[in-house]
Amino acid sequence: MGGYILRRIAVALPLLIVISFLAFVLNQLSPMDPAEVVLHAQGVPTITEELIAETRAELGMDRPFLIQYFDWLISSFQLDFGSSYVTGKPVWSLLGPALLNTLKLTLVSSAFIILFSIVMGVVCALREGGWLDLSVRGFSFLLTSLPAYWLAALMVWYFSVKLDLLPTSGMDSISSYILPVAVIVIGYAGIYFRMIRSSMLSNLNEDYVLYGRACGLSETSVIMYVLRNSLQVAVSVFGLAIPVILGSTVVVENIFAWPGLGTLTVNSILGRDFPIIQAYVLVLAAAFVLFNTASDIINAAFNPKLRKEF
Amino acid sequence: MNLLKRLMKDKMAVASLSVVAATLLVGLCAPFIAPHNPNEVNMELRFAGASWQYWLGNDHLGRCVLSRLIYGIRPSVLYVLAALAASACIGALLGFAAGYFRGKVDALLMRICDCMLSFPGYVMTLAVVGMLGAGLENILLAFVLMKWAWFARVIRTAVMQFADADYVKFAKVLGAGHMRIMARHITPVALPEIAVVSSSSFGSMILQISGLSFLGLGIQAPHAEWGMMLNEARSVMFTRPELMLAPGIAIIVVVSAVNFLSDSLQTALDPKLMTYGKPSKAGMNTILPKLRRKEVA
Amino acid sequence: MNIKKGVVLLTALLAIIWLSACSAGNNGEGAQSSSGAQNGADVQSSAEGDSSVKEIIYATAKDINDMNPHLYPGSMAAQGIVYESLVENTKDGIKPLLAESWEISSDGKVYTFQLRKNVTFHDGAPFNAEAVKLNIEAVQRNASKHAWIKLSTMLEEVSVIDEHTVQMKLTEPYYPALLELSMTRPFVFLSPNDFIDGETKDGVKGYNGTGPYKLTEHVTEQYARFTANESYWGGEPKVKSITAKVLPAGETTLLALQKGEVNFVFTDDRGADSLDVEAMQRLVDSGDYQIVRSEPMNTKMIVANSSKQESPASDKAVREAIWHVVDREMISRTIFSGTETAAETLFSANVNYADIGLEARSYDPGKAMQLLEQAGWVQEAGSDIRTKNGSPLVLKLYYDVNSSSQKTEAELLQSEALKIGMKLELIGEESSSIANRRSTGDYELLFNQTWGLAYDPQSTIAAFAADSSYRHTTSGIAQAEQLYQMIDEVMVSTDEETRKALYRDILTIVHEEAVFIPLTNGSVTVVAPTGLQSISFKQTQFELPFELMYFE
Repeated sequence: MGGYILRRIAVALPLLIVISFLAFVLNQLSPMDPAEVVLHAQGVPTITEELIAETRAELGMDRPFLIQYFDWLISSFQLDFGSSYVTGKPVWSLLGPALLNTLKLTLVSSAFIILFSIVMGVVCALREGGWLDLSVRGFSFLLTSLPAYWLAALMVWYFSVKLDLLPTSGMDSISSYILPVAVIVIGYAGIYFRMIRSSMLSNLNEDYVLYGRACGLSETSVIMYVLRNSLQVAVSVFGLAIPVILGSTVVVENIFAWPGLGTLTVNSILGRDFPIIQAYVLVLAAAFVLFNTASDIINAAFNPKLRKEF
Repeated sequence: MNLLKRLMKDKMAVASLSVVAATLLVGLCAPFIAPHNPNEVNMELRFAGASWQYWLGNDHLGRCVLSRLIYGIRPSVLYVLAALAASACIGALLGFAAGYFRGKVDALLMRICDCMLSFPGYVMTLAVVGMLGAGLENILLAFVLMKWAWFARVIRTAVMQFADADYVKFAKVLGAGHMRIMARHITPVALPEIAVVSSSSFGSMILQISGLSFLGLGIQAPHAEWGMMLNEARSVMFTRPELMLAPGIAIIVVVSAVNFLSDSLQTALDPKLMTYGKPSKAGMNTILPKLRRKEVA
Repeated sequence: MNIKKGVVLLTALLAIIWLSACSAGNNGEGAQSSSGAQNGADVQSSAEGDSSVKEIIYATAKDINDMNPHLYPGSMAAQGIVYESLVENTKDGIKPLLAESWEISSDGKVYTFQLRKNVTFHDGAPFNAEAVKLNIEAVQRNASKHAWIKLSTMLEEVSVIDEHTVQMKLTEPYYPALLELSMTRPFVFLSPNDFIDGETKDGVKGYNGTGPYKLTEHVTEQYARFTANESYWGGEPKVKSITAKVLPAGETTLLALQKGEVNFVFTDDRGADSLDVEAMQRLVDSGDYQIVRSEPMNTKMIVANSSKQESPASDKAVREAIWHVVDREMISRTIFSGTETAAETLFSANVNYADIGLEARSYDPGKAMQLLEQAGWVQEAGSDIRTKNGSPLVLKLYYDVNSSSQKTEAELLQSEALKIGMKLELIGEESSSIANRRSTGDYELLFNQTWGLAYDPQSTIAAFAADSSYRHTTSGIAQAEQLYQMIDEVMVSTDEETRKALYRDILTIVHEEAVFIPLTNGSVTVVAPTGLQSISFKQTQFELPFELMYFE
């Protein structure tokens, strides 16, 4: 097992380096000259070519490309992503709290998604073809087709304004979580529910189920076996799902004025605040790779056969 | 084709297919169907209600909502389809190459795939839009950059399975060229899988592109797009709630039709695709694209 | 055994999630701020029917940001209630504020201020001549950032005469000196205890001003709370607490108003009125809110970059053509429902020195086409867009993405322009990015506004020449050098008649060149609870006198 973990991490590391390199190059492609932006941010009245050259040297931008990259990488590890072009604050002082807020939203939503999709998936698989199964499946299709922002607008209108039950936006109290979480859960539970269901179904059709029943095992213990095997798929699926949800809270955050990554990034894009965009790409991509690695490792812990893959 | 026949037995699939086909057709023929020029501004008709001349009323610039809805099919659905086709082509080409030639080509391509796949969909799109600026073409570019890797993965697996099939070996022995073998023998086999993968990401892409337009990162004025129409409607949600309805319902109808269709496609292909029983890498590969389906929205 | 592992894993995961959900109140600052928020919520929920509320919660699209009053990122509305200047600019001219009286030497170079006594900073430190000297010197040590304020380039020395008397020496006479001392920043006063090593330019330790409100709580990107300063020299303000809540403009703000989560909205720093006029009217009809509008404060306009050689915007005929396709009456009537009036010139006639009878360029697409035709922009058969020497008549117009009215105006203009063979590409961005474009010259056309009564015309005109403002707008016109010279002259001129003549010439040049294309005269709009009395305005669009307001 230890060897597997090491091998898996050995694969993840170069991936991380490639991603960081891409994020770095992306920023180099941006049309703004960082030296000029810095000078403007400092409010320097007249900007001359010499001054720009001087600032470039100060920022270390006259050095070879690779050296700049490694410097940037090392400071990124220390969470030093430079300063925002707009506010002049260190990027991490904006990104850090936003990331935390988005993580909270993501984890709470993921918990409910996992809960709902497992419960519904298992129940529907056991009642395959029944009215419950059919209606839940049909409903899940409809729900996953709803544009999140449309649904959100509707829910805010009804629950916050009409019924006056929940706050319309912000992150003031526990009740602020209800609407954004509901919108995310509605958007995703349907997908993962279907995955759990089909995984359960295919397991139910396996030979070992027949064998187990033939051997006179109680139905409950047969189902426990099926559940265990289905959960293997579930773990890897959810391992991937969490960063996907993390990345996709963008729209929901913007509608509910959630002070998270999505709001920050969209504002940064509209304000052309490149250091924040760059840090966002790097942090989320790294999170995705780490989650991926972790879920593979957990998966391998469940299923020794997978360990041979690397 | 076998698949199509099986599909036609499913009433739901037929209905969804007709909805999707009708939408595409209306979008293609928009200039002939739309009653008005979608960009024609008439401030005197600002927020006018439905009338015989303007069936769905007029928006904040007095433009015909129905015409905008019809023209909106183009960026909201047609362009997405085009981006999907482009990424499918690129992915298919590279996937074929990887699966067929194996060895170093395969290893390199799959590494690149890994790398592309480690960017969650929204992150990639936001990165591209952030660096190149807001705009429909940049989002479509991001889609292509994102999705080809999925296609490449899936198609590589398919090719790996079939490249060893006897009839392909037979063709090789007969001295058929690489391209010929790919075109004649492997494409028809892999096509259904491509259909499943693309149909399952189609819905999410429609939702994603309208979501980004909704946030102001997508299409730019004056072009009509459903997400953009919703965004415009949102600022007058209280005084004119009816403006939220038409584009919202259009999105829901098209996306559910696409989702139903994709599900039916998968069911029709069931024997080949449903290999979850043994959670091998191949099995995971068919799950993953489904998992990505709603990566956005 | 595997099952056990799985169960343990899942339990752990769920536990983490629940923990994070429970601690979710606020970024780990835990009890205090989250209870604060709950209090806020309680008050808010009673805001609707109950008129006993003594609190203002206003919506703002941007965080108040860095409150350091000697730098520019902070929110002016917030800085305006925390810090004060020596003098105040009112409708009736310059009035005392922290200075009770002043004398100007006969050569116009020495200003002696008698400071108000018994004024303390929020941290208890006394406000005296020494504090004034320390503040102004700290500002001056960062002079490069304040070049737009001419005074900062002319201030020679600040000296303490006695505890309550301070003297400023200028290198030359400068007539708008008091006006510039009245501005929200940078010549306002922060407790010297908050300085870091005697400086303010690299950040400060606290935000203790002398103003009617103190900043008591700030959660970045969420809210900032200000409470009444009990020992304010002008008497404790009646509204005890003001909260600035960060909300996206438009619908979210409107919902929050309906719900009572915020109860106050006003036209923001950048002049973006995020609320639809009709939607505001609905709020008033509900009986919970009132709308108060100031007199016209500024002119909303489109600024053309005359210095961008490769762009059609550098062609005077194109700029004039755009001027002629703006249907101002229509904009005023439909988009603003008559709440803003059409503006025919950069400054309306009620602005000082601006009543000089410039010729209006009316809405006239025919004239616009004629102008383009004469300038060589021809329309090839079968093409929608005019070209000149092979380059198409395509311009980019940047608007504030938070302002629905700007977007609608832009779209209207876009369709009008297309009719005369001009293509406008619309790009919505955050106001910070637009400000950045303005100073770097990376634009062709963008939405902007004059700086408001307190700043018009002198500061806005000084900004014509300033790199950080309209330099790129004006530097491409034929008489640019002459213009800049006149601007320099008018600022130091002591003779009223000369000034009048110079202003006339300056305004005529920019009008002739059509680099500032006026749209409407904007005012500050306030949406406030019905019970709030004495809502008034300052001479600037950037601040409101919250200390005068009270609940009935």
